[in-house]
Amino acid sequence: MASSPLAGAVRGAAVKQTKRSIWSGVLAGVGLVAFIDETVFHQLLHWHHFYDKSTLAVGLVSDGLFHAGGFIAMVAGLFLLADAHRRGGFVPKRWWGALLIGAGGFQLYDGIVQHKLLGLHQIRYHVAIWSYDLTWNITAFIMILAGFLLMKGDAGIARSSILRSDAHPAA
Amino acid sequence: MLELTCLVMTLLTLAGYGTVLYRLRRRGVRWPVTRVAAMLAGLLCVAAALLPPIASHDELFPVHIAQHLLLGMAAPAFLALSAPVTLMLRTLPRRSRRMLLRLLHSAPIAALTAPATAVVLDLGGLYALYLTGLYNAAEHNDLIHAAVHVHMFLAGCLLSWAVIGIDPIRRRPGTCVKLTALVIVAAGHDTLAKLIYAWNLPAGGGPIASRHIGAELMYYGGTVIEMAVAVIVMAQWYLVSGRALARTRRRSESVESQLPVALPSRRCG
Repeated sequence: MASSPLAGAVRGAAVKQTKRSIWSGVLAGVGLVAFIDETVFHQLLHWHHFYDKSTLAVGLVSDGLFHAGGFIAMVAGLFLLADAHRRGGFVPKRWWGALLIGAGGFQLYDGIVQHKLLGLHQIRYHVAIWSYDLTWNITAFIMILAGFLLMKGDAGIARSSILRSDAHPAA
Repeated sequence: MLELTCLVMTLLTLAGYGTVLYRLRRRGVRWPVTRVAAMLAGLLCVAAALLPPIASHDELFPVHIAQHLLLGMAAPAFLALSAPVTLMLRTLPRRSRRMLLRLLHSAPIAALTAPATAVVLDLGGLYALYLTGLYNAAEHNDLIHAAVHVHMFLAGCLLSWAVIGIDPIRRRPGTCVKLTALVIVAAGHDTLAKLIYAWNLPAGGGPIASRHIGAELMYYGGTVIEMAVAVIVMAQWYLVSGRALARTRRRSESVESQLPVALPSRRCG
């Protein structure tokens, strides 16, 4: 039967659609952590400081890059999400998995490289910092792990969505 | 004197713009109202930055930063969205239009409007202003002061035109290039704001508390504007790719309807 190359093409297109969801999820995850960091820890709790005296210039560059990259990633991720929906190829499981990986990865970078290696700023001041660091990084690790578990398997690939999007252009 | 010049120039621009719109309308050409609104908002930002009360108090560092946000970031973004070059191309006589087009398509203009050039000129100007003695010099010399403002505005325009501009240029950068340029500029801007805070810059910027307020205004104000620009970049991408998507779907639909045996199951859903 001639259906096997067609099935291959459909599968290829489905994988492409799925990739869109994954990219969108990773970017939104990075943006989400940057956003939580800024609003909750800087603005609401005042745990983090705008700048602490021990910071080196290289730390400020890294912070600036991730502050700017974070909110731009959030904007791009949400528009990619709208695009995936518009094409009828949104894969929720892959999106959530990618979001957790993006968020966890960014938080791990923040916790290990920015807080510890670059000494940018600490999570909180005048407390025993190790327990906060441990919680911070373990949370990040759990997010990454949960993300990979969600991404596992074939079930999350855009199934009939390709056919559906061709059949209902308006959807 | 300087302020009077700025006021006259803003009013002249406004009058010229109004005349051009009126002539266009009489010829029956439609010009989107969003572009008119963008032009008005842009001119308003320029006027707010260069006229009292802001301009008369810009020896205070936070006021100077407000001026920088308005003149170097907000105004250029609005003006880029108002497509003034397109408007000129629509209204100029044939010969001058051809000359303008040749200029726009020339190699120097292409190099000048490339995102990399805009990023270097924009960040370079800002770092030079706050990290060297330039800020202090501009405080004491009207000519340097005016030159700093002109550079701030023009560099901001180059960047805005490269990233969200809708005027015709020879090669429009792709969305990834635009976002990368935006991330670099935004990161450079945020880093500079923190450096100003950390090193108590700029020299000649007044009391330290006032410099700190200015640095925080630069950081958060800059973030708001850069985020709005990022939304515009992505919205433009979304609209353009949406049109391409609709075209593809129409085409595949017309091919489908030409098939001798229609696929009934697809039709009913």
